Amino acid sequence: MIDLALATILLPVAGAVLVALSPHAAAKWICQLFAALAVVAVLTLAFQFSEAGKVPVSATLIAYGDTAILGFTVDTVSVLVAVAVVAIGFLIAVYSGAYLSAGNREHPDTGRRRFFAFLALFVGAMAGLVFTDTLIGQLVFFEITGACSWALIGYYEKPKSLYSAAKALIITHVASLGLYVAASVLFLETHTFSLSAIADLGATGKTIVLIAILVAAWGKSAQLPFHMWLPDAMEAPTPISAYLHAASMVKVGVYIVARALMSSNGAPEIVGWVGSAMAIVTLIYGFVMYLPQADLKRLLAYSTITQLAYIFLALSLSVFGSKLAFNGAIAHVFNHAFAKTLFFLVAGALSYTTGTRMLPVLRGVLSKAPLIGVAFVVAALAITGVPPFNGFFSKFAIFAGGFSVSQAHPLLYVLVVIALVESVGSFAWFLKWVGWTVPGKPTEPVAAAAPLPLAMGFVLVVLIAMSVCSSFIAAAWLG
Amino acid sequence: MTSSVLPYLLLFGPLVGALAIFAVPVGTGPSRVVEALHVASITAVLALALVAGGTALAAGPISAFDHWLLIDPLAAIFIGLVGVVGFLTGLYSLGYIRHDVAHGLLTPARHKLYYGFFNLFLFTMLLAVTANNIVMMWVAIEATTLGSAFLVGIYGKRSSLEAAWKYVIICTVGVAFGLYGTVLTFANGSEVLADPEGAILWTTLVANARLLDPMLAKLAFVFVLIGFGTKAGIFPMHAWLPDAHSEAPSPVSALLSGVLLKCALFVIIRYYAITIQAVGPEFPQMLLLVLGFLSVGVASFLFFVQQDLKRKLAYSSVEHIGLILLGLGFGGPLGIGAALLHAVNHSFAKALLFCGSGNVLIKYGSRDLGTVKGLLRVAPVSGVLMMAGALALAGFPPFNVFVSEFMVFNAGLGAGWVWLTLASALLLTVTVAGFVQIVSGSVLGKAPESVRKGDVGVAALAPMVVLMALVLAFGFAVPGPVTTLVGRAAELVERGGKAAAEPPTVIYGLSTPLRVEAASR
Repeated sequence: MIDLALATILLPVAGAVLVALSPHAAAKWICQLFAALAVVAVLTLAFQFSEAGKVPVSATLIAYGDTAILGFTVDTVSVLVAVAVVAIGFLIAVYSGAYLSAGNREHPDTGRRRFFAFLALFVGAMAGLVFTDTLIGQLVFFEITGACSWALIGYYEKPKSLYSAAKALIITHVASLGLYVAASVLFLETHTFSLSAIADLGATGKTIVLIAILVAAWGKSAQLPFHMWLPDAMEAPTPISAYLHAASMVKVGVYIVARALMSSNGAPEIVGWVGSAMAIVTLIYGFVMYLPQADLKRLLAYSTITQLAYIFLALSLSVFGSKLAFNGAIAHVFNHAFAKTLFFLVAGALSYTTGTRMLPVLRGVLSKAPLIGVAFVVAALAITGVPPFNGFFSKFAIFAGGFSVSQAHPLLYVLVVIALVESVGSFAWFLKWVGWTVPGKPTEPVAAAAPLPLAMGFVLVVLIAMSVCSSFIAAAWLG
Repeated sequence: MTSSVLPYLLLFGPLVGALAIFAVPVGTGPSRVVEALHVASITAVLALALVAGGTALAAGPISAFDHWLLIDPLAAIFIGLVGVVGFLTGLYSLGYIRHDVAHGLLTPARHKLYYGFFNLFLFTMLLAVTANNIVMMWVAIEATTLGSAFLVGIYGKRSSLEAAWKYVIICTVGVAFGLYGTVLTFANGSEVLADPEGAILWTTLVANARLLDPMLAKLAFVFVLIGFGTKAGIFPMHAWLPDAHSEAPSPVSALLSGVLLKCALFVIIRYYAITIQAVGPEFPQMLLLVLGFLSVGVASFLFFVQQDLKRKLAYSSVEHIGLILLGLGFGGPLGIGAALLHAVNHSFAKALLFCGSGNVLIKYGSRDLGTVKGLLRVAPVSGVLMMAGALALAGFPPFNVFVSEFMVFNAGLGAGWVWLTLASALLLTVTVAGFVQIVSGSVLGKAPESVRKGDVGVAALAPMVVLMALVLAFGFAVPGPVTTLVGRAAELVERGGKAAAEPPTVIYGLSTPLRVEAASR
């Protein structure tokens, strides 16, 4: 099974190299082909893994004497997240193939090799991050995803997008010092980089390592105080925004925290307090920032920040002993990936067909482009957690877990209630925009919209289906 | 310690090559004979350097010329560096210098002089890193200045002559301090040793360092640090470096930054070993840490504000030298090993970028970052190599600089210098910003209409591709012999040559996870 995990990592990387060596016209197809192969690999892995009774398997790939440098682990969490990461990577590759064309009304562009090479590399690096079981491996893939995101955010090469790209890179790199610290402390204390060694640390060592990982995670997941890069990163081509802010880049942060907590065999409570307090602060900030946004992508950017704050909250609650909250967090990683990708791709579809993504001028989408309209509604309901869409189930698990641990720690009640209030508030706010945009008489840009390319429509349909099904898949998988 | 003819061969190769090149008559165009001799000479250097490294690894230290020459693991690392980087930049020179001659920047006579001095420069650097006699070590370092000053000023323009002049003056004055340190050490040794003449050999000094007078040893180390530190480009003695690096032909800049600075560092490391034994590690480490941190701090900001590509790279060299000093200063096998590995890694990455800046000069005729735009569109291969090289130097995985930077970081935390380490790491992010600026400003973007599309020739690209491969290879997996050499050299420096346990080797391939043995300490 480890070989399948390796294949999932290496196939996209090989694709990236091939794209760089091939002529311009082939880039799109090579990227899509290798992303598809990676999907096949990861689905085969998931199938074999569940056939074999979901027994975790790990292997060391590079070791220095007795010190594991790089190794991989296949367990329920890593397989589930890898499926989301790789599958969405493939969908993005398909969508981008159509999106980056001369027919795009907002950004006519023919899709240069650089785009597809870095996208493929990004998929590979994400898979690597998900499967690795050493801190140094996480650091390596963390930095590679940072470099890829830099190249992709700055793709249009306008001064503003290059500036935003550099900002994303530098802020996440500063945050990565947390992982440097965590890996160094772990190594100095235990002479290994294996995540499983976190369990062997003393209370102080555990606190230092976990808080340091948390800091790195805040950077990648755009939590306060490292949130500044994410709204600016909306300069990226929209499919990239979808991948970065739904499935990959921002999920790096929560994922490394989840892995560290899984390996730590009981984390000190201080980690839970720090994590949940910062999550709530970020949640409130993100919600307040919804209100002035008129650009759909920027609205989604702040929504991403708050949704990740939910996941951090859930992970922090799990420190106090709630398995339910932890599973809710993992499920939310999975569900949010599909729902938010859908939402970003709706924004992309709107800007492709109408040339704008300013919400005030977009009305009557449903009558002109029914698929986009339906997708808009589904995405909004899924993100805000309305049953039967996926967001509801994972949020429910998070809140249920939160209330159960609150009985021992009354202060947590306050935090969980704030989160609940935010959830209702964001539902109301998104409902407002759905009501504004979807029904009614088309405004001028909507009425003049171009038809949606088939490939983009296909991706939207798949994601709509997943926005309903993904929570059942996650629940069945996590057991 | 075995005696061997190998050091002679290694040294005489480039010396004979240089003399032969000087002897070739000047024709009307760039001489093929000169180029053939040059290639033969650098190939010999590469082959012998690798053989010397291998022999030192397999059979232990080699000495020659009545112990005046010594190839131990520490020397082997730097010899390897001279060999590999010298060979690759030497190959890169072929296309680059030919272009300069074709565009009238160099005359055929200067073409010949260039290759002559290039090989002479290699000879002096090899002499410096094989020297066991401390006076000869000083002489060799002084000789590198003379050899390379002509290369810096070879274009004969006002600015390049000024840079060469500044280089000669500052380094000669600086290295004079090195002479005080050398003489003090010798005097100190000859006073206490049974055989006074033995005090001229580093091996004898380090073996008997405990006998040395501590006060004099400290004083000597300070002089050595100032003296050879000037040559190594340590802040605040780095003033010559940005000018010389930016005015020299690009392959020479690569050699200066990649190898010459390391040769001066090598001498400092030799004295560091003596001083650790003589007065204990605290004093030299404190000095190294202070200078290292200052170099990193000052150079990172100066790096960021430069507008000239090659000056930028030059300041980045100062910064990386600072980082190496920090690794040395953190001490222990990990810190010293990290420093040595970083010296190697930085050489490869920096040579790559300087060669890249050479391609930029060929295509744009300018190194002003305001003028150079859209390299990726003008010269795709050079653009990709520059981009990857910049990310490598900025310390991103999977490139090699990341590995050694992480090790330095790790050593810093391990030695208890938490805040110093974190502050240095934050300063390094300023460098990341600077490299990102290079890439987004010059590699990406729209190319000016005036620049013709099409990459530079294969001759100039092939050495860069090899350098890139080395950068990647050392990032994924440092080759086993190199880790062994670095491990042994670190022990040598730290423990003054006393035998130590073999460092572990890197193991690849899927295996069951290693058992974690922890918490018992």
